[in-house]
Amino acid sequence: MSRPNYTEISVDRLTKQYAKVRAVDDLSFTVNAGRVTGFLGPNGAGKTTALRMILGLVTPTAGTATIGGVRYVDMPDPIRQVGAVLEASSAHRGRSARNHLRVICRAAGLPDQRADEVLAIVGLNTVGTRKFKGYSLGMKQRLGIAAALLGDPRVLILDEPTNGLDPEGIRWMRDLLKALAAEGRTVLVSSHLLGEMQQLADDVVIIAAGRLIRQGPVSEVLGAAAGVARVRVRTPQPERLATALQEARLEVGGGPDGSLQISGADTAQVGHIAFTAGVELHELIGESADLERAFLDLTAGKAGAR
Amino acid sequence: MNLIRAELLKLRTTALWWIFAILLVPIYGVALAYNWLTANVMLSSDYADVDTGMIGEADRAVSGLYTSGQFFGILLVVLLSAILVTNEFFHLTATSTFLTTPRRELVILAKMAVSVVIALTVWLVTTVLSLGFAPFALSTMNQPSHIGESFVWQAIGLNALAFVLWGLLGVGTGVLIRSQIGATLTLSVLYVVGAQVLSGIFVLLGTMWNESVLTFRVVVPTLASDLMVSGQQFPDDPPRWVGALIMLAYAAVFSVVGTLITKERDVG
Repeated sequence: MSRPNYTEISVDRLTKQYAKVRAVDDLSFTVNAGRVTGFLGPNGAGKTTALRMILGLVTPTAGTATIGGVRYVDMPDPIRQVGAVLEASSAHRGRSARNHLRVICRAAGLPDQRADEVLAIVGLNTVGTRKFKGYSLGMKQRLGIAAALLGDPRVLILDEPTNGLDPEGIRWMRDLLKALAAEGRTVLVSSHLLGEMQQLADDVVIIAAGRLIRQGPVSEVLGAAAGVARVRVRTPQPERLATALQEARLEVGGGPDGSLQISGADTAQVGHIAFTAGVELHELIGESADLERAFLDLTAGKAGAR
Repeated sequence: MNLIRAELLKLRTTALWWIFAILLVPIYGVALAYNWLTANVMLSSDYADVDTGMIGEADRAVSGLYTSGQFFGILLVVLLSAILVTNEFFHLTATSTFLTTPRRELVILAKMAVSVVIALTVWLVTTVLSLGFAPFALSTMNQPSHIGESFVWQAIGLNALAFVLWGLLGVGTGVLIRSQIGATLTLSVLYVVGAQVLSGIFVLLGTMWNESVLTFRVVVPTLASDLMVSGQQFPDDPPRWVGALIMLAYAAVFSVVGTLITKERDVG
Protein backbone atom coordinates (compact mmCIF):
# COMPACT_ATOMS: atom_id res chain seq x y z
CA MET A 1 0.00 0.00 0.00
CA SER A 2 1.48 3.28 -1.00
CA ARG A 3 0.74 6.46 0.81
CA PRO A 4 2.28 9.89 0.82
CA ASN A 5 5.25 10.09 3.08
CA TYR A 6 5.08 13.08 5.35
CA THR A 7 8.11 13.14 7.59
CA GLU A 8 9.95 16.43 7.99
CA ILE A 9 8.28 19.03 10.18
CA SER A 10 9.02 22.50 8.93
CA VAL A 11 8.11 25.61 10.87
CA ASP A 12 8.64 28.82 8.94
CA ARG A 13 8.42 32.27 10.52
CA LEU A 14 5.51 31.14 12.65
CA THR A 15 3.88 33.87 14.75
CA LYS A 16 0.88 33.92 17.07
CA GLN A 17 -0.24 37.23 18.43
CA TYR A 18 -2.83 37.19 21.19
CA ALA A 19 -4.50 40.33 22.49
CA LYS A 20 -1.68 41.24 24.82
CA VAL A 21 1.09 38.77 24.24
CA ARG A 22 3.03 37.47 21.28
CA ALA A 23 3.05 33.80 22.29
CA VAL A 24 5.13 32.68 19.31
CA ASP A 25 7.35 35.20 17.58
CA ASP A 26 8.82 34.61 14.12
CA LEU A 27 9.76 31.04 14.96
CA SER A 28 11.50 28.85 12.38
CA PHE A 29 12.95 25.37 12.78
CA THR A 30 12.92 21.94 11.17
CA VAL A 31 12.56 18.50 12.66
CA ASN A 32 14.06 15.48 10.91
CA ALA A 33 12.99 11.86 10.68
CA GLY A 34 14.70 9.06 12.56
CA ARG A 35 15.60 11.25 15.51
CA VAL A 36 14.01 12.37 18.73
CA THR A 37 13.87 16.15 18.79
CA GLY A 38 13.37 17.84 22.14
CA PHE A 39 11.34 21.03 22.07
CA LEU A 40 12.54 22.93 25.09
CA GLY A 41 11.65 26.12 26.80
CA PRO A 42 10.58 27.47 30.17
CA ASN A 43 6.91 27.39 31.08
CA GLY A 44 5.03 29.92 28.99
CA ALA A 45 7.68 30.00 26.27
CA GLY A 46 5.09 29.22 23.59
CA LYS A 47 5.79 25.51 23.12
CA THR A 48 2.18 24.39 23.36
CA THR A 49 0.93 27.19 21.11
CA ALA A 50 3.58 26.32 18.50
CA LEU A 51 2.65 22.62 18.60
CA ARG A 52 -1.06 23.44 18.30
CA MET A 53 -0.33 25.59 15.27
CA ILE A 54 1.60 22.73 13.65
CA LEU A 55 -1.49 20.56 14.24
CA GLY A 56 -3.98 23.07 12.86
CA LEU A 57 -5.78 23.61 16.16
CA VAL A 58 -4.58 27.18 16.50
CA THR A 59 -4.50 29.51 13.49
CA PRO A 60 -1.16 31.31 13.09
CA THR A 61 -1.14 35.09 12.88
CA ALA A 62 1.67 34.75 10.34
CA GLY A 63 3.99 32.09 8.97
CA THR A 64 3.42 28.45 8.14
CA ALA A 65 3.89 25.06 9.70
CA THR A 66 4.00 22.03 7.43
CA ILE A 67 4.68 18.34 7.74
CA GLY A 68 6.32 16.94 4.61
CA GLY A 69 5.39 20.18 2.88
CA VAL A 70 1.67 19.87 3.64
CA ARG A 71 -0.34 21.66 6.28
CA TYR A 72 -1.93 19.30 8.81
CA VAL A 73 -5.43 20.54 7.99
CA ASP A 74 -4.89 19.74 4.31
CA MET A 75 -4.00 16.09 4.89
CA PRO A 76 -6.72 13.71 3.72
CA ASP A 77 -5.89 11.17 6.44
CA PRO A 78 -4.06 13.15 9.14
CA ILE A 79 -4.06 10.60 11.92
CA ARG A 80 -2.43 8.00 9.65
CA GLN A 81 0.38 10.52 9.09
CA VAL A 82 0.76 12.32 12.38
CA GLY A 83 0.06 11.14 15.91
CA ALA A 84 -0.29 13.79 18.57
CA VAL A 85 -0.43 13.75 22.35
CA LEU A 86 -1.65 17.06 23.70
CA GLU A 87 -3.38 17.41 27.03
CA ALA A 88 -3.75 14.29 29.15
CA SER A 89 -7.31 15.01 30.16
CA SER A 90 -8.88 14.96 26.72
CA ALA A 91 -11.40 12.16 26.94
CA HIS A 92 -14.99 12.05 28.18
CA ARG A 93 -14.96 11.09 31.87
CA GLY A 94 -17.82 8.67 31.52
CA ARG A 95 -16.49 6.81 28.48
CA SER A 96 -14.18 3.82 28.63
CA ALA A 97 -10.67 4.14 27.24
CA ARG A 98 -11.40 1.47 24.66
CA ASN A 99 -14.52 3.26 23.44
CA HIS A 100 -12.63 6.56 23.37
CA LEU A 101 -10.14 4.96 20.96
CA ARG A 102 -12.91 3.29 18.96
CA VAL A 103 -14.58 6.62 18.35
CA ILE A 104 -11.34 7.85 16.77
CA CYS A 105 -11.08 4.61 14.75
CA ARG A 106 -14.59 5.10 13.38
CA ALA A 107 -13.97 8.73 12.44
CA ALA A 108 -10.67 7.88 10.74
CA GLY A 109 -11.95 4.73 9.02
CA LEU A 110 -9.62 2.45 10.97
CA PRO A 111 -10.75 -1.01 12.08
CA ASP A 112 -12.03 -1.22 15.67
CA GLN A 113 -9.38 -3.79 16.57
CA ARG A 114 -6.69 -1.09 16.29
CA ALA A 115 -8.02 0.20 19.62
CA ASP A 116 -7.14 -3.09 21.32
CA GLU A 117 -3.78 -3.26 19.56
CA VAL A 118 -2.62 0.15 20.75
CA LEU A 119 -3.96 -0.48 24.25
CA ALA A 120 -1.67 -3.51 24.34
CA ILE A 121 1.29 -1.47 23.10
CA VAL A 122 0.95 1.01 25.97
CA GLY A 123 0.14 -1.68 28.55
CA LEU A 124 -3.47 -0.67 29.22
CA ASN A 125 -5.11 -3.75 27.69
CA THR A 126 -6.30 -5.05 31.06
CA VAL A 127 -7.97 -1.75 32.01
CA GLY A 128 -9.33 -0.73 28.60
CA THR A 129 -12.96 -1.12 29.61
CA ARG A 130 -12.52 1.04 32.69
CA LYS A 131 -14.03 4.52 32.50
CA PHE A 132 -11.69 7.42 31.89
CA LYS A 133 -12.53 9.06 35.22
CA GLY A 134 -10.98 6.04 36.98
CA TYR A 135 -7.64 6.57 35.26
CA SER A 136 -4.55 7.91 37.03
CA LEU A 137 -2.58 10.70 35.39
CA GLY A 138 0.01 8.19 34.26
CA MET A 139 -2.67 6.00 32.67
CA LYS A 140 -4.13 9.04 30.93
CA GLN A 141 -0.71 9.79 29.43
CA ARG A 142 -0.46 6.21 28.21
CA LEU A 143 -3.93 6.48 26.71
CA GLY A 144 -2.84 9.66 24.96
CA ILE A 145 0.10 7.77 23.44
CA ALA A 146 -2.24 4.94 22.44
CA ALA A 147 -4.51 7.39 20.60
CA ALA A 148 -1.48 8.89 18.83
CA LEU A 149 -0.37 5.43 17.66
CA LEU A 150 -3.79 4.40 16.26
CA GLY A 151 -2.98 5.38 12.68
CA ASP A 152 0.59 3.98 12.81
CA PRO A 153 1.87 7.46 11.88
CA ARG A 154 5.31 8.41 10.57
CA VAL A 155 5.37 11.55 12.69
CA LEU A 156 4.72 11.88 16.42
CA ILE A 157 4.21 15.17 18.22
CA LEU A 158 4.00 15.07 22.00
CA ASP A 159 3.41 17.94 24.40
CA GLU A 160 4.95 17.25 27.83
CA PRO A 161 4.16 13.53 27.67
CA THR A 162 6.09 12.68 30.83
CA ASN A 163 3.99 14.97 33.04
CA GLY A 164 2.52 12.94 35.85
CA LEU A 165 4.51 9.80 35.08
CA ASP A 166 6.44 8.01 37.80
CA PRO A 167 10.14 7.20 37.21
CA GLU A 168 9.27 3.80 35.81
CA GLY A 169 6.73 5.42 33.47
CA ILE A 170 9.25 8.02 32.35
CA ARG A 171 11.73 5.29 31.47
CA TRP A 172 9.02 3.42 29.59
CA MET A 173 8.16 6.56 27.62
CA ARG A 174 11.83 7.22 26.87
CA ASP A 175 12.37 3.71 25.56
CA LEU A 176 9.19 3.84 23.49
CA LEU A 177 10.02 7.19 21.86
CA LYS A 178 13.58 6.10 21.13
CA ALA A 179 12.31 2.88 19.57
CA LEU A 180 9.82 4.81 17.44
CA ALA A 181 12.56 7.15 16.21
CA ALA A 182 14.82 4.17 15.52
CA GLU A 183 12.11 2.87 13.17
CA GLY A 184 12.65 6.00 11.11
CA ARG A 185 9.78 8.03 12.52
CA THR A 186 9.94 11.73 13.29
CA VAL A 187 9.49 12.38 17.01
CA LEU A 188 9.02 15.91 18.36
CA VAL A 189 8.58 16.04 22.11
CA SER A 190 8.25 19.16 24.22
CA SER A 191 9.39 19.42 27.79
CA HIS A 192 10.60 21.82 30.40
CA LEU A 193 12.35 18.95 32.18
CA LEU A 194 15.85 19.22 30.85
CA GLY A 195 17.51 16.27 32.52
CA GLU A 196 14.87 14.13 30.88
CA MET A 197 15.63 15.57 27.42
CA GLN A 198 19.34 15.04 27.83
CA GLN A 199 18.71 11.33 28.11
CA LEU A 200 16.12 11.21 25.36
CA ALA A 201 16.71 13.73 22.60
CA ASP A 202 19.11 13.58 19.67
CA ASP A 203 18.35 17.14 18.61
CA VAL A 204 16.98 20.08 20.55
CA VAL A 205 15.03 23.17 19.61
CA ILE A 206 15.20 25.70 22.43
CA ILE A 207 12.75 28.59 22.61
CA ALA A 208 12.08 31.33 25.12
CA ALA A 209 9.51 34.12 24.99
CA GLY A 210 8.22 32.66 21.73
CA ARG A 211 11.55 33.05 19.94
CA LEU A 212 14.07 30.47 18.79
CA ILE A 213 17.16 30.46 20.98
CA ARG A 214 19.05 27.61 19.41
CA GLN A 215 18.55 24.49 17.34
CA GLY A 216 20.87 21.57 16.68
CA PRO A 217 22.11 18.21 17.89
CA VAL A 218 22.27 17.99 21.69
CA SER A 219 26.06 17.65 21.66
CA GLU A 220 26.54 20.74 19.53
CA VAL A 221 24.18 22.89 21.54
CA LEU A 222 25.91 21.77 24.71
CA GLY A 223 29.38 22.44 23.33
CA ALA A 224 28.50 25.88 22.04
CA ALA A 225 26.48 27.06 24.96
CA ALA A 226 28.01 25.50 28.00
CA GLY A 227 31.39 26.05 26.37
CA VAL A 228 33.80 25.68 29.19
CA ALA A 229 33.85 22.58 31.29
CA ARG A 230 34.21 22.78 35.06
CA VAL A 231 36.42 20.86 37.43
CA ARG A 232 35.87 20.36 41.13
CA VAL A 233 38.77 19.51 43.46
CA ARG A 234 39.08 18.79 47.14
CA THR A 235 42.35 19.45 48.88
CA PRO A 236 43.64 20.03 52.44
CA GLN A 237 45.56 23.08 51.10
CA PRO A 238 42.92 25.08 49.21
CA GLU A 239 44.67 28.49 49.44
CA ARG A 240 47.89 27.18 47.95
CA LEU A 241 46.09 25.47 45.08
CA ALA A 242 43.93 28.52 44.42
CA THR A 243 47.03 30.71 44.11
CA ALA A 244 48.69 28.24 41.74
CA LEU A 245 45.54 28.05 39.60
CA GLN A 246 45.14 31.81 39.46
CA GLU A 247 48.77 32.11 38.37
CA ALA A 248 47.80 29.83 35.48
CA ARG A 249 45.02 32.35 34.68
CA LEU A 250 42.19 30.02 35.61
CA GLU A 251 38.99 31.14 37.27
CA VAL A 252 38.66 29.67 40.74
CA GLY A 253 35.60 29.65 42.93
CA GLY A 254 34.76 28.04 46.24
CA GLY A 255 32.27 25.25 46.49
CA PRO A 256 29.79 25.06 49.38
CA ASP A 257 31.57 22.07 50.93
CA GLY A 258 35.05 23.65 50.97
CA SER A 259 36.00 22.30 47.56
CA LEU A 260 37.31 24.47 44.71
CA GLN A 261 35.59 24.90 41.38
CA ILE A 262 37.66 25.73 38.35
CA SER A 263 36.22 26.71 35.00
CA GLY A 264 38.06 26.75 31.69
CA ALA A 265 40.21 23.73 32.38
CA ASP A 266 39.94 19.98 32.30
CA THR A 267 40.94 17.51 35.00
CA ALA A 268 44.35 16.83 33.41
CA GLN A 269 45.35 20.51 33.51
CA VAL A 270 44.17 20.98 37.09
CA GLY A 271 45.93 17.75 38.17
CA HIS A 272 49.15 18.90 36.54
CA ILE A 273 49.06 22.34 38.19
CA ALA A 274 48.43 20.75 41.58
CA PHE A 275 51.30 18.31 41.05
CA THR A 276 53.81 21.03 40.07
CA ALA A 277 52.68 23.16 43.05
CA GLY A 278 53.12 20.16 45.33
CA VAL A 279 49.48 20.25 46.52
CA GLU A 280 47.88 17.10 47.80
CA LEU A 281 44.52 16.26 46.14
CA HIS A 282 41.75 14.20 47.72
CA GLU A 283 39.24 14.49 44.93
CA LEU A 284 39.38 15.61 41.31
CA ILE A 285 36.11 15.58 39.37
CA GLY A 286 35.36 16.80 35.87
CA GLU A 287 31.82 18.08 35.51
CA SER A 288 30.62 17.71 31.96
CA ALA A 289 28.50 20.51 30.59
CA ASP A 290 24.87 19.65 31.01
CA LEU A 291 21.84 20.66 29.07
CA GLU A 292 20.23 22.21 32.08
CA ARG A 293 23.02 24.70 32.59
CA ALA A 294 23.21 25.41 28.88
CA PHE A 295 19.50 25.93 28.84
CA LEU A 296 19.49 28.26 31.81
CA ASP A 297 22.40 30.22 30.34
CA LEU A 298 20.64 30.49 27.00
CA THR A 299 17.25 31.47 28.26
CA ALA A 300 18.41 33.65 31.14
CA GLY A 301 16.59 36.94 31.13
CA LYS A 302 14.56 36.05 28.08
CA ALA A 303 11.66 34.31 29.73
CA GLY A 304 10.45 37.36 31.57
CA ALA A 305 7.20 37.25 33.45
CA ARG A 306 4.89 35.48 31.04
CA MET B 1 -20.46 8.32 6.87
CA ASN B 2 -17.50 7.37 9.06
CA LEU B 3 -18.03 10.56 11.03
CA ILE B 4 -21.71 9.82 11.59
CA ARG B 5 -20.79 6.35 12.85
CA ALA B 6 -18.20 7.94 15.15
CA GLU B 7 -20.75 10.42 16.49
CA LEU B 8 -23.31 7.68 17.07
CA LEU B 9 -20.70 5.70 18.98
CA LYS B 10 -19.92 8.77 21.08
CA LEU B 11 -23.60 9.01 21.94
CA ARG B 12 -23.93 5.32 22.75
CA THR B 13 -20.83 5.09 24.93
CA THR B 14 -21.82 7.47 27.70
CA ALA B 15 -24.65 7.33 30.18
CA LEU B 16 -26.38 10.42 28.79
CA TRP B 17 -28.66 8.77 26.24
CA TRP B 18 -30.27 6.32 28.60
CA ILE B 19 -30.76 8.99 31.27
CA PHE B 20 -32.71 10.91 28.65
CA ALA B 21 -34.51 7.72 27.59
CA ILE B 22 -35.57 7.03 31.18
CA LEU B 23 -36.75 10.63 31.56
CA LEU B 24 -38.90 10.20 28.49
CA VAL B 25 -41.12 7.55 30.12
CA PRO B 26 -42.68 9.64 32.95
CA ILE B 27 -42.76 12.67 30.68
CA TYR B 28 -44.76 10.74 28.14
CA GLY B 29 -47.10 9.48 30.85
CA VAL B 30 -47.80 12.98 32.13
CA ALA B 31 -48.31 14.33 28.60
CA LEU B 32 -50.72 11.54 27.74
CA ALA B 33 -52.71 12.10 30.92
CA TYR B 34 -52.87 15.84 30.23
CA ASN B 35 -54.03 15.33 26.66
CA TRP B 36 -56.54 12.74 27.83
CA LEU B 37 -58.01 15.27 30.26
CA THR B 38 -58.06 17.98 27.63
CA ALA B 39 -59.78 15.67 25.19
CA ASN B 40 -62.30 14.74 27.85
CA VAL B 41 -63.28 18.39 28.24
CA MET B 42 -63.17 19.22 24.54
CA LEU B 43 -65.08 16.18 23.41
CA SER B 44 -67.78 16.43 26.04
CA SER B 45 -71.21 16.71 24.44
CA ASP B 46 -71.33 20.52 24.48
CA TYR B 47 -68.28 20.90 22.35
CA ALA B 48 -68.90 17.87 20.17
CA ASP B 49 -72.11 19.39 18.89
CA VAL B 50 -70.43 22.50 17.56
CA ASP B 51 -67.63 20.59 15.88
CA THR B 52 -68.02 21.68 12.29
CA GLY B 53 -64.91 20.42 10.58
CA MET B 54 -61.84 22.47 9.55
CA ILE B 55 -59.37 22.60 12.42
CA GLY B 56 -61.96 22.51 15.12
CA GLU B 57 -61.34 22.15 18.82
CA ALA B 58 -62.27 18.48 18.70
CA ASP B 59 -59.75 17.73 15.97
CA ARG B 60 -57.14 19.60 17.93
CA ALA B 61 -57.81 17.48 21.00
CA VAL B 62 -57.62 14.27 18.99
CA SER B 63 -54.41 15.43 17.30
CA GLY B 64 -53.04 16.30 20.71
CA LEU B 65 -53.63 12.75 21.90
CA TYR B 66 -51.88 11.30 18.86
CA THR B 67 -48.88 13.60 19.34
CA SER B 68 -48.60 13.16 23.10
CA GLY B 69 -45.14 13.83 24.49
CA GLN B 70 -44.37 16.44 21.87
CA PHE B 71 -43.74 19.35 24.21
CA PHE B 72 -41.25 17.72 26.57
CA GLY B 73 -40.02 15.17 24.02
CA ILE B 74 -38.83 18.03 21.86
CA LEU B 75 -37.24 19.65 24.91
CA LEU B 76 -35.23 16.48 25.51
CA VAL B 77 -34.22 16.28 21.85
CA VAL B 78 -33.17 19.92 21.67
CA LEU B 79 -31.10 19.64 24.85
CA LEU B 80 -29.45 16.38 23.83
CA SER B 81 -28.64 17.85 20.41
CA ALA B 82 -26.99 20.89 21.97
CA ILE B 83 -25.04 18.68 24.37
CA LEU B 84 -23.69 16.67 21.42
CA VAL B 85 -21.68 19.79 20.63
CA THR B 86 -21.04 21.38 24.02
CA ASN B 87 -19.81 18.06 25.44
CA GLU B 88 -16.77 18.32 23.18
CA PHE B 89 -15.72 21.49 24.95
CA PHE B 90 -16.95 20.53 28.41
CA HIS B 91 -14.91 17.31 28.40
CA LEU B 92 -12.03 18.74 26.34
CA THR B 93 -12.55 16.14 23.62
CA ALA B 94 -12.66 18.82 20.93
CA THR B 95 -8.87 18.53 20.56
CA SER B 96 -9.06 14.82 19.84
CA THR B 97 -12.07 15.26 17.56
CA PHE B 98 -10.54 18.05 15.48
CA LEU B 99 -7.16 16.30 15.28
CA THR B 100 -8.91 13.30 13.78
CA THR B 101 -11.05 15.48 11.51
CA PRO B 102 -9.40 18.84 10.86
CA ARG B 103 -12.31 19.83 8.59
CA ARG B 104 -14.46 20.94 11.47
CA GLU B 105 -17.59 21.64 9.41
CA LEU B 106 -17.82 17.91 8.64
CA VAL B 107 -17.91 17.16 12.37
CA ILE B 108 -20.82 19.54 12.82
CA LEU B 109 -22.67 18.06 9.83
CA ALA B 110 -22.23 14.60 11.37
CA LYS B 111 -23.62 15.87 14.66
CA MET B 112 -26.64 17.26 12.81
CA ALA B 113 -27.22 13.88 11.22
CA VAL B 114 -27.10 12.27 14.66
CA SER B 115 -29.52 14.86 16.05
CA VAL B 116 -31.95 13.95 13.25
CA VAL B 117 -31.57 10.29 14.22
CA ILE B 118 -32.29 11.17 17.87
CA ALA B 119 -35.28 13.34 16.91
CA LEU B 120 -36.83 10.67 14.71
CA THR B 121 -36.20 7.97 17.33
CA VAL B 122 -37.99 9.93 20.05
CA TRP B 123 -40.77 10.80 17.61
CA LEU B 124 -41.13 7.15 16.61
CA VAL B 125 -41.26 5.93 20.19
CA THR B 126 -43.83 8.51 21.29
CA THR B 127 -45.88 8.00 18.12
CA VAL B 128 -45.99 4.21 18.48
CA LEU B 129 -47.08 4.62 22.10
CA SER B 130 -49.73 7.17 21.08
CA LEU B 131 -51.06 4.95 18.31
CA GLY B 132 -51.66 2.41 21.06
CA PHE B 133 -52.98 4.67 23.78
CA ALA B 134 -54.93 7.33 21.87
CA PRO B 135 -57.63 5.02 20.42
CA PHE B 136 -58.03 3.49 23.87
CA ALA B 137 -58.35 6.92 25.48
CA LEU B 138 -60.88 7.96 22.85
CA SER B 139 -62.88 4.77 23.31
CA THR B 140 -63.27 5.53 27.03
CA MET B 141 -65.00 8.74 25.94
CA ASN B 142 -67.19 6.83 23.50
CA GLN B 143 -65.34 8.43 20.61
CA PRO B 144 -64.17 6.79 17.42
CA SER B 145 -60.38 6.45 17.04
CA HIS B 146 -60.27 8.90 14.10
CA ILE B 147 -57.26 6.88 13.00
CA GLY B 148 -58.36 6.74 9.40
CA GLU B 149 -58.69 10.49 9.11
CA SER B 150 -56.12 12.61 7.33
CA PHE B 151 -55.87 15.32 9.99
CA VAL B 152 -54.49 12.76 12.46
CA TRP B 153 -51.76 11.67 10.08
CA GLN B 154 -50.99 15.26 9.19
CA ALA B 155 -50.50 16.02 12.89
CA ILE B 156 -48.23 12.98 13.27
CA GLY B 157 -46.18 13.99 10.23
CA LEU B 158 -45.82 17.60 11.33
CA ASN B 159 -44.86 16.31 14.75
CA ALA B 160 -41.90 14.48 13.14
CA LEU B 161 -40.91 17.65 11.32
CA ALA B 162 -41.04 19.63 14.57
CA PHE B 163 -38.79 17.09 16.30
CA VAL B 164 -36.24 17.20 13.48
CA LEU B 165 -36.17 20.99 13.14
CA TRP B 166 -35.80 21.50 16.88
CA GLY B 167 -32.99 18.94 16.93
CA LEU B 168 -31.14 20.89 14.24
CA LEU B 169 -31.78 24.12 16.12
CA GLY B 170 -30.28 22.45 19.21
CA VAL B 171 -27.07 21.57 17.36
CA GLY B 172 -26.90 25.08 15.95
CA THR B 173 -27.30 26.61 19.40
CA GLY B 174 -24.65 24.28 20.86
CA VAL B 175 -22.21 25.36 18.17
CA LEU B 176 -22.99 29.00 18.80
CA ILE B 177 -22.93 28.83 22.60
CA ARG B 178 -20.11 26.45 23.49
CA SER B 179 -20.76 26.54 27.21
CA GLN B 180 -22.71 23.46 28.27
CA ILE B 181 -24.69 25.32 30.91
CA GLY B 182 -25.13 28.39 28.73
CA ALA B 183 -26.52 26.47 25.78
CA THR B 184 -28.86 24.17 27.74
CA LEU B 185 -30.15 27.02 29.90
CA THR B 186 -30.77 29.29 26.92
CA LEU B 187 -32.66 26.58 25.07
CA SER B 188 -34.71 25.52 28.09
CA VAL B 189 -35.76 29.07 28.87
CA LEU B 190 -36.46 29.89 25.24
CA TYR B 191 -38.44 26.72 24.77
CA VAL B 192 -40.40 26.54 28.00
CA VAL B 193 -41.19 30.15 28.90
CA GLY B 194 -39.98 31.97 25.79
CA ALA B 195 -43.24 31.45 23.92
CA GLN B 196 -45.40 32.89 26.67
CA VAL B 197 -43.14 35.84 27.43
CA LEU B 198 -42.50 36.74 23.81
CA SER B 199 -46.11 36.37 22.67
CA GLY B 200 -47.02 38.59 25.60
CA ILE B 201 -44.61 41.19 24.30
CA PHE B 202 -46.07 40.92 20.81
CA VAL B 203 -49.63 41.28 22.11
CA LEU B 204 -48.53 44.34 24.08
CA LEU B 205 -46.87 45.85 21.00
CA GLY B 206 -49.94 45.03 18.96
CA THR B 207 -52.34 46.82 21.28
CA MET B 208 -50.07 49.79 21.90
CA TRP B 209 -48.90 50.34 18.37
CA ASN B 210 -50.32 48.40 15.50
CA GLU B 211 -52.31 45.19 15.25
CA SER B 212 -50.24 44.01 12.30
CA VAL B 213 -47.23 43.54 14.58
CA LEU B 214 -48.95 40.41 15.84
CA THR B 215 -48.45 38.73 12.50
CA PHE B 216 -44.70 38.88 13.01
CA ARG B 217 -44.78 36.99 16.28
CA VAL B 218 -44.11 33.82 14.29
CA VAL B 219 -40.45 34.83 14.06
CA VAL B 220 -40.12 33.53 17.63
CA PRO B 221 -38.97 29.93 17.17
CA THR B 222 -41.43 28.46 19.65
CA LEU B 223 -44.34 30.26 18.00
CA ALA B 224 -43.14 29.31 14.54
CA SER B 225 -43.12 25.72 15.70
CA ASP B 226 -46.65 26.15 17.12
CA LEU B 227 -47.87 27.56 13.84
CA MET B 228 -46.35 24.68 11.94
CA VAL B 229 -47.82 22.00 14.20
CA SER B 230 -51.20 23.47 15.16
CA GLY B 231 -51.99 25.70 12.21
CA GLN B 232 -53.41 29.20 12.19
CA GLN B 233 -54.90 30.50 15.40
CA PHE B 234 -56.00 33.85 13.99
CA PRO B 235 -57.47 34.36 10.54
CA ASP B 236 -54.59 36.54 9.31
CA ASP B 237 -51.82 34.22 10.58
CA PRO B 238 -49.45 33.03 7.85
CA PRO B 239 -49.88 29.44 6.65
CA ARG B 240 -48.19 26.47 8.34
CA TRP B 241 -45.27 26.20 5.93
CA VAL B 242 -44.10 29.67 6.93
CA GLY B 243 -43.61 28.33 10.44
CA ALA B 244 -41.59 25.39 9.12
CA LEU B 245 -39.50 27.72 6.99
CA ILE B 246 -38.77 30.01 9.94
CA MET B 247 -37.66 27.03 12.04
CA LEU B 248 -35.44 25.82 9.23
CA ALA B 249 -34.00 29.30 8.83
CA TYR B 250 -33.10 29.45 12.53
CA ALA B 251 -31.42 26.06 12.42
CA ALA B 252 -29.52 27.01 9.26
CA VAL B 253 -28.40 30.45 10.44
CA PHE B 254 -27.29 29.22 13.87
CA SER B 255 -25.41 26.31 12.32
CA VAL B 256 -23.72 28.29 9.58
CA VAL B 257 -22.67 31.14 11.86
CA GLY B 258 -21.61 28.69 14.57
CA THR B 259 -19.65 26.58 12.08
CA LEU B 260 -17.84 29.60 10.70
CA ILE B 261 -16.90 30.62 14.22
CA THR B 262 -15.82 27.08 15.08
CA LYS B 263 -13.61 26.92 11.99
CA GLU B 264 -11.86 30.14 12.91
CA ARG B 265 -11.63 29.74 16.64
CA ASP B 266 -8.52 28.28 18.26
CA VAL B 267 -8.99 24.99 20.10
CA GLY B 268 -7.40 24.42 23.47
